[in-house]
Amino acid sequence: MSVLNAVLRAAVDGLLSPFRGLSPWVGLAVVSILTAVPMLLVFRATSNQTALAAVKKQIHAGLFEIRLFNDDLRAIMRAQLHILRQNLSYLRLSLPPMLWIVPPLVLLFAQLQFHYGYRGLEVGQPALLEATIRESALDGATGKPTLRLDVPDGLRVETPPLWIASESRFSWRIAAERQGDYTVKLGFAGQEVEKSVHAGERVVLRSPERLAPTFVNQLLYPAEPPLPGDGPFSAVSIGYPERALSLFGLETPWWVVYLGLLFLVILALRNAFGVTI
Amino acid sequence: MNVFVRRRGGARRWAVVTLLAVACAGLAASSCSRSADGGGQRVIVLGFDGMDHGVVTRLMAEGRLPNLSRLAEAGSFSPLETSVPPQSPVAWSDFITGMDAGGHGIFDFVHRDPATMLPYLSTSRAETSEDCYGIGSWKVPGPGGKIELLRRGVPFWEVLEDNGVESWIVRMPANFPPSGSASVELSGMGTPDAVGSPGEFSFYTSELFAFEGEDISGGEIYPVDYWEGTAEATLYGPPNTCLPGRPQLTVDFTVHVDPVEPVAKLVVGDEQRLLMVGEWSDWLPISFPLPLGDLQVIARFYLKSVRPELELYVTPFQIDPEHPAMPISTPDGFAGELVEAAGRYYTQGMPEDTKALTEGVLSEEEFLRQAAYTGRQFIDQYKWVLDRFDGGFLFYYFGNLDQTSHMLWDTLDPGHPAYVAETDARFADVIESLYQELDGVVGYTLDRIGDDTTLVVMSDHGFGSWRRVFHLNNWLEENGYLVLKDPNRRDPGVYRNVDWSRTRAYGLGLNGLFINLRGRERSGIVPAEDRTALLEEITERLLATVDPQTGEPAVTEVWPRERYRDRGYLEIGPDIQIGYAWGTRGSGKSAIGDFTDSVFSDNLDDWPGDHCWDHTTVPGILLTNRDLGRPVVKLTDLAGAILAQFGIEDFPAGTPSS
Repeated sequence: MSVLNAVLRAAVDGLLSPFRGLSPWVGLAVVSILTAVPMLLVFRATSNQTALAAVKKQIHAGLFEIRLFNDDLRAIMRAQLHILRQNLSYLRLSLPPMLWIVPPLVLLFAQLQFHYGYRGLEVGQPALLEATIRESALDGATGKPTLRLDVPDGLRVETPPLWIASESRFSWRIAAERQGDYTVKLGFAGQEVEKSVHAGERVVLRSPERLAPTFVNQLLYPAEPPLPGDGPFSAVSIGYPERALSLFGLETPWWVVYLGLLFLVILALRNAFGVTI
Repeated sequence: MNVFVRRRGGARRWAVVTLLAVACAGLAASSCSRSADGGGQRVIVLGFDGMDHGVVTRLMAEGRLPNLSRLAEAGSFSPLETSVPPQSPVAWSDFITGMDAGGHGIFDFVHRDPATMLPYLSTSRAETSEDCYGIGSWKVPGPGGKIELLRRGVPFWEVLEDNGVESWIVRMPANFPPSGSASVELSGMGTPDAVGSPGEFSFYTSELFAFEGEDISGGEIYPVDYWEGTAEATLYGPPNTCLPGRPQLTVDFTVHVDPVEPVAKLVVGDEQRLLMVGEWSDWLPISFPLPLGDLQVIARFYLKSVRPELELYVTPFQIDPEHPAMPISTPDGFAGELVEAAGRYYTQGMPEDTKALTEGVLSEEEFLRQAAYTGRQFIDQYKWVLDRFDGGFLFYYFGNLDQTSHMLWDTLDPGHPAYVAETDARFADVIESLYQELDGVVGYTLDRIGDDTTLVVMSDHGFGSWRRVFHLNNWLEENGYLVLKDPNRRDPGVYRNVDWSRTRAYGLGLNGLFINLRGRERSGIVPAEDRTALLEEITERLLATVDPQTGEPAVTEVWPRERYRDRGYLEIGPDIQIGYAWGTRGSGKSAIGDFTDSVFSDNLDDWPGDHCWDHTTVPGILLTNRDLGRPVVKLTDLAGAILAQFGIEDFPAGTPSS
C-alpha cells in the first residue's frame, strides 16, 4: 500500500503541478475530463451495451405509456411497475462496470482530497500542531513527559507544549512567518519523526495527519508516508483550514464541484465515445 | 426514429452547454463585488461619539490633534449643541431626522408603558413568533417574529436616496433594524447580541464562591468542574420560546489545562484553540443546535487564569455577520462582505464590555485591550469602506471614545471621588490617546479625498466628570411627591414598593420625570387640570435643590416637554427632562424605579464619566473642510445642511406620520 500511495502521490502531484498557481476550478475541470474519458472507455468495455440500450428503451416505453394513457389509472400503475423493474435491471447491468470504476476512483478521491480539501497555513495565522504518543511508550510514567519539537526558520512556535494526559497528546500553536514548505521534527524517547507543513495558497499536496501504518490509515491518508510502526508516535497532525469553493456564492466542498463537472463532461462526451450509460 | 433521437441528443448537448454557461456566469457573479455609482458630489460625515468640545480645543492648542486642526483651518470648528436630554440615542436621532425628541419619539434609553408602568428599550422592539413548529421537544418558533425600529421621522438618507444620491450609513446609532432606505447600511448602537440582550458576557470560574451574593448585571457567572486539568462546561444561548420553561439552547465545551505551563486548549464543537493566560482567541463560530437548522453565532474567549483557579471570559454571543440571524445590514449581504476588511467582528451596538469591567470580571487593562481591539477593527473597516465609497454620502460611526471615556474619565480628574492616584495615573493618557487615534482617522481621510468632497466631523455630545449622583425617586419621596408602601423597604424592584394611589410624580430614565396622570398612567391620580401647576411646583423645587456636600445647585435646567419644537410624539416622553448640573447625574437605580437611602451620593462606580446632564454644558463638536452654506448650531440643523450640499433644501419636511 505504501508503494502504491507513493506512486499515486507522484502521479497526481505531477499531473496537477501545472495548475498549482491557478484557481482550483481549473485543475478540477482538467481532472474531471481526464477521468471522464477512461471512465467512459471502461464503462463501454465492461458493460453489456446492447442490454443497457434495450433497458433504457423499455424505460422510455413506460414513460410514453404513462403519457399516452394518462386517464387510465391501471395503465399508469402498470407502467410504473414496469419502469421500476427496468430500473432494477439497469442497476444490475451497471454494477459490473462500477466494480471496475469505483476502486481507482476511491484512490483518486483520497489523493484529490489532500490537494483540494485543505488550504495552507496563512502567514501569521495560528494553527494547532499535535502529536499523540502511544500508551506503551509512556511506560506508566506520571507527570508531563518531555518531547522535543524543532521547527525550521519560517515557522514559529507561539505556545509551550500543552500536555493532555487523558489523551496522551501534546499540542502547540504554531504560525508561519512566510510562505513555503517546511518540515518539523519531533523527538520522543530517543526516536524522531518528521511532519510536513505547508504555508501558502497554492494548490499543492497537503497532509493534515501522519498516522500509524494500518491499511485503513494508508487508504484514507495517502498524502504522507505512515509513521514508523514501532515508534512512540501514533499520530502527528497539523490543523489546516478546510477549503471550500464558491459556487453561485455558496461555499461548496471540492468533491461536489468535481462530481458535478465529471457528470457534465460524461454527458457531453458519451455520444462521441459511443457509450450508452 | 433516427432523426428524433438525433434531435433529442442535440437538445441535450445544448442543455449541457447552457448548464456550463450558467455555471460560469454563477462563478463570475460570485466573485464580483459591488461597484458604487461614481461621480458627483461627495459628502463624508465621521461621527465620533462623545468627543468633547473642550477637550478638542485644549488638545488642538497643545498641538496634539494636527489633522483636526488642519480641518479647522481649512473650514470651521465650533461647538454643536446637543439634544435634550444629551443621551446618545436621543442625540443621534436628532441628527438622523433633523427633529428633536418630540418629533422622532426617542426621549431616553428607556421609555415606560403607562399601562404596565414597566420600562422598555426606547429604540427597538423585538417580538418572537407565537407560532411554533414541530412536535414534542422538537419545536422551534415560526417565522412570524419581528423586530421593529421605534424611531419615528424620515431619516435624512431616505431623502438623499429619493433624490438619487447613493448613501452609505455605517453603524448609525438608533438604526436597528436598519431602515432599509439607504444603499448600504450596517446597524449600530441599539443592535443586540445574538441572545437579544444589549450584550451578556459569560464568565466561567472554578472558584467555588466567586461573586456569590453579588448582583451581576450584563453577564452571567458560571461555576465549572475542574478536575485533573480538564474542565467541562456549557455555553448558554438564547431560549427556545416554544418549549415549556423556555430552556436555553446550549453547546458544551471543554478546556484542557497543561499541568505545568500557563496554557490551555479550548474545544468548542469542531473548533480548537490554544490560549496562553492573558490571551484572547479569535472569533469562534458556535452553532446552537435547533431541530430545523442551527443558530450560528460567534464569540471570543479570554483565558484569564489557569492557576490556582480556572477563569475564562466569553464575550456576548454576536450575530454572525456572515450568517446573520437578525437583520443588521442593507443589503443583507453587506455585513458579511465587511468581514473582508478585518475578519469577523462585533455586531452588537456597543461592543466595549463596560459591564465586565464594572462587575470586576475584567480589569482595566483587560477592558482596554478588548476596547482597543474593537477600535482598531472598526478603523480598519472604515478604511475598507472608504476605498469602496465612490460618490454620494457616507456616514461612519466610531463609538470607542464614548465607552472608554465613560469608564476612565476619573483618570483625567483628580477631584473625582473614585480617583486613586496610584492606579488611575497609569491610564491618564488613555482617553487623550483615543482623541489622537481618531485624529489619525481624520488625517487618513483628508489624504484620500479630493476637492469635490465635503468632510464633516461631528460628535453627538461632550463629556465630563460624573462626581455626584442624584437619586430622583428618593428626592420625590423626600418632597412628598412619591409615596412608598413600606418606607423601610429599599429592596430592588421596578416601582414594586410604590403606592401609586398616593404618588403624584415618579422618575424614569436618566433624565425623565413623569406626572402620575389620571387617565394616562395605569393608576394615575393627578387630574389633567392640576398637571401644569404641579410641574411648576416641582420645577421650582428642583432648581432650588442644593447638593449639601458641594453647596452647588443640583439642577440647572428643567425642560418641560411642551418646549420641544417638534410635537408628533410628545406623549411618549416624560413631562419634564431634568438637566442636572455639570458633574451630577441621575442614578442608574432611580432610572429603573429603584430606591436608595439618600438623595445624593458620591459616584464610586466604575463609570466615572458621563454627559447626561444640562445639555448646554456638554456640547459636541462640528468641524468641516468647507462652509456648509447655512448655520449649524444644533444637532437638528446638521442633516438639513448636509442635504443642502446636494441641493435639497426642505429637510425635515412637515410632521411625520405615525
